[in-house]
Amino acid sequence: MGILLSKLAVIKHSLALILVLILGMGSVYAVDKHAINVPAPKGEECVEDAKWMRVNHFKTVLNHRDDTVIRGIRTEKHSLKNCIDCHITPNKTGDYARYSNSEEHFCASCHTTAAVSIDCFSCHADRPEHVIRAARQQSQLEALKKNSVHVSATELILNTPQP
Amino acid sequence: MNEMNKKYALLSKSDDNASQAVDQGKRTFIGGLVGASGLAVAPGVMLYQTAAAKPLEQAVSNAVRWGMLVNVNQCAEDCDDCVTACNDEHGLWPEEGSTTDSQWIRKLTVKDPSTGNAKSLPMMCQHCENPPCVDVCPTGASFKREDGIVLVNMHTCIGCRYCMMACPYKARSFVHETLENQLPDSPRGKGCVESCNMCVNKIDAGDNTTACAEACSKAGHEAITFGDLNDPESDISTQLKAHGGNQIRADLGLNTGVRYQGL
Repeated sequence: MGILLSKLAVIKHSLALILVLILGMGSVYAVDKHAINVPAPKGEECVEDAKWMRVNHFKTVLNHRDDTVIRGIRTEKHSLKNCIDCHITPNKTGDYARYSNSEEHFCASCHTTAAVSIDCFSCHADRPEHVIRAARQQSQLEALKKNSVHVSATELILNTPQP
Repeated sequence: MNEMNKKYALLSKSDDNASQAVDQGKRTFIGGLVGASGLAVAPGVMLYQTAAAKPLEQAVSNAVRWGMLVNVNQCAEDCDDCVTACNDEHGLWPEEGSTTDSQWIRKLTVKDPSTGNAKSLPMMCQHCENPPCVDVCPTGASFKREDGIVLVNMHTCIGCRYCMMACPYKARSFVHETLENQLPDSPRGKGCVESCNMCVNKIDAGDNTTACAEACSKAGHEAITFGDLNDPESDISTQLKAHGGNQIRADLGLNTGVRYQGL
């Protein structure tokens, strides 16, 4: 009887050890996949409890969506614009990730892992406004340079915005 | 029904009368409200101001009706600053290789064939009180906000384009191609209809102007006045009262929020 009990205890302990190992591996994997590549948000804490947000953010965004479009309520707290402004920050090289980059974009990093296909960002901005405007200026400048090959050098200088 | 008849009667009389028929009943009602609240506080101190910026958390109400007045005589033919400003405000930037770019506002030249007299004017969504686009929308995506702004709720728009066919002003565009670089305040995408939203983002932020009106003033033309049609003291209402303003296709009885002077 005693031998049986001690055998059971060994099995119990090894099971617990395996469980700890699996969980540990899982968390290492999770950290590796999400926390390292996604740049840190601007603010110190989220507008709601972070755990609650992980489960319910789509409900708040959905409610706020109708409030804004139909009733013209534009509080910042639950607005998608506010989420983006805070969570989408430059990475180590100073670039802002697009939603198509699931490694670095805050929303995409989790959606990809959880296999969520949602098309918010086929219409909504996935970066803060100033980043989009700067990118637009840059592409205009490049287009200008490309098209100006056939134009005189003077015109190119005249057309190029001065810094 | 009686109210409708009254409105049609006013519309058919003359254009000057039509311009004053802007929600006359509502205006009287608000006048009463303002008077009552004013009495409650002190002489000259009004509790209730129709054109004041609303707090962000407050829903829009029909106490205001936003509108624009275009003075065609001050609109320069070779100027399209309003169009450029609109495109920049809402990120309506031409996509590379696209031949189907949206237009929310466009410049038109209208000519009277009998006299040869030509006028240049901006044309955009007229923000009708009785919008045909809202009547025909099968999903309710096309709707009129409480403050009179006609919008497309792109979350419910299925891209059927009935509204484009119904609009007498050809004010709406369909997005045919995938878009990039949309701005946060003007989300837009492939498969949806869109049109002038009277810079609803600016209005809700309390800017009390639109991008086109701002650009027109900046260019020195001052041809576009933005304001509250329900507030008899507003710039737009006083101008309409003094000089009148035409609706384009007034015969349709849509009671447009955009009026034109000098047509």
